[in-house]
Amino acid sequence: MLKSNAESLVEVAVYGEVWPPAAARDPYKATSEGVAAVTLGMAGICFQNRVGDPAFGWEADHLEPGVSIRNRDDGAEHALHYLACMGNDAVVTSGACRGARGTVTGEHAHVLVDFPPESIELLAIGDRIQVKAYGTGLALLDHPDIQLHKCSPRLLDALRLESLPDGRLQVPVVAEIPSHLMGSGAELMADYVDQDFMTGDRAEMARLGLDRLRLGDIVLVRDQDHTWGRGYFEGAVTIGLIIHGDSAWAGHGPGVLDLMSARVPAIVAVPDADANIAWRLGLRDPADKAIRAPGAVSSYAGIETV
Amino acid sequence: MFDNREQLVGVSVQGNIVSPEYPPLPASPYVIGADGRPQLLPSQGGIVYNVRVGDSAFEWLADLVQPGVSIRAPTEPANQALNVLSCLGNEAIVLSGEATGSRGTVIGKSGRFAEHVIVDFAPETLERLAIEDKVLVRAFGRSLALTDYTDVQLKSISPQLLDVLDIEPAGPGALTVPVAAEVPAFLVGAGSGLMNESGCIQIQTDHRSALAEHGLEELRLGDVVAVRDYDSRWGNGYLKDAVCVGVVVHGDSPRAGYGPGLTVIMASTANRIRPVLRSERNIADLLGLRTSVAAPA
Repeated sequence: MLKSNAESLVEVAVYGEVWPPAAARDPYKATSEGVAAVTLGMAGICFQNRVGDPAFGWEADHLEPGVSIRNRDDGAEHALHYLACMGNDAVVTSGACRGARGTVTGEHAHVLVDFPPESIELLAIGDRIQVKAYGTGLALLDHPDIQLHKCSPRLLDALRLESLPDGRLQVPVVAEIPSHLMGSGAELMADYVDQDFMTGDRAEMARLGLDRLRLGDIVLVRDQDHTWGRGYFEGAVTIGLIIHGDSAWAGHGPGVLDLMSARVPAIVAVPDADANIAWRLGLRDPADKAIRAPGAVSSYAGIETV
Repeated sequence: MFDNREQLVGVSVQGNIVSPEYPPLPASPYVIGADGRPQLLPSQGGIVYNVRVGDSAFEWLADLVQPGVSIRAPTEPANQALNVLSCLGNEAIVLSGEATGSRGTVIGKSGRFAEHVIVDFAPETLERLAIEDKVLVRAFGRSLALTDYTDVQLKSISPQLLDVLDIEPAGPGALTVPVAAEVPAFLVGAGSGLMNESGCIQIQTDHRSALAEHGLEELRLGDVVAVRDYDSRWGNGYLKDAVCVGVVVHGDSPRAGYGPGLTVIMASTANRIRPVLRSERNIADLLGLRTSVAAPA
């Protein structure tokens, strides 16, 4: 069992409301190939797509699985963003689904909450959802070089971490993302939302097999120091969570939310195809993996770089 | 080399000299370095008296210093027009205050990091300028294209700057572009994923030995620089064999993911732009803004 300071943390309520999708009067955006496209995927209640589903292949941009919430008040909205941690408990506090319980699985343009589908059949846009925010300040006492971000004690326990005899922390991950693919979000501090990995080079996606990632997968990002900001630093290691789906915009792709980062090589990865919070947190039945499974072969295999 | 400059429309855009700005209390004024250390530093904006295009991008105690004068329009749509339509090398004219009638040159755009247009003026003009003075830019260059090089996009570049870049044909559809340095894609940080018609991408400098290894420690404000494996046609992102060319528009930063910013002036895929390293590729020289630019000490 890893030693942490979880017992010193304060658990506090933050809240948001189910936020509607929004579109501009002129909704077109240019894809990385210069095609005008109308994109949807963010905000609202995503009835079909949950954490555990493939991150690629949807006719959507930045697909936010589950329920997207936000607060109208700027200060309360930032508290929701900064304090809600992955794996935190959420509960519907108004409307027909009052009392339904969910779990925080992402923080992007909205905080993303997963619910069992049958519990939110009657969930309405505008319904209020409260989160028991718990995890800010969490630290691993035997791994002082590692900074945790947005990681709840519940998630920490579920990641199957191991302290190695040489002092490093072993983390099961589905895949590794090389530093040169880290894109939009470099301009932000590591405690605010996510950083996309860039998928415009489809041949590179096929080569690395990254297009078979799922929402909820745990990944390692090499040579990226996300202890404070987000940038290249040789030897640094960051562990992230895939929170939203792919994008056709240049410099964008599935979102990697920082869970832990070290400026020195204090983290080692071990491959584990099941390192996904949908199963590790018990949000979905592992049998669901067969539904909408990414193909065995990359969907971009054979695609040439333009 | 033929282009379409005779079809382009010149149009006025305008801004005011912008004051340096800090977030109001209770926010702290510190910038957090990559190592977590808070620092209090001058940042973008204002009239910068002692840093000019042609000077080092690195040796200043500042966060993203913008040389010369930074301007912004008072309303957001007008400011987007100022930022999108202004091209590097465009003429700027002071329209109010003691320096009315003085002329300068657009040398950069900071994009989402500040949404300022950066203008160079002679040092004697700076002495007569005041914050909030009006500066008009004669925007000219948007939609500029090279007739025989349709895979090479030009952006934020005036015909005047295009003419002095010394680009040359390099086979069908391809060009050589002399540059002061080449940046590998992994050193591009903030700016990836952001709109590039009004802004810049940042050469991240936290890992100093990677910077030195690629000969980037001597970069100067105004240097013409190429980025390899980077696609800046309709945004900014990684793509093997794509190349973009930019101009260094602001200085270094202690923040992770940040460093000297490049405003993109050319973009292509598939090796259409072939950078060649050459010394003295700085727009202060090329546009005749400074008579002699001393090499960094």
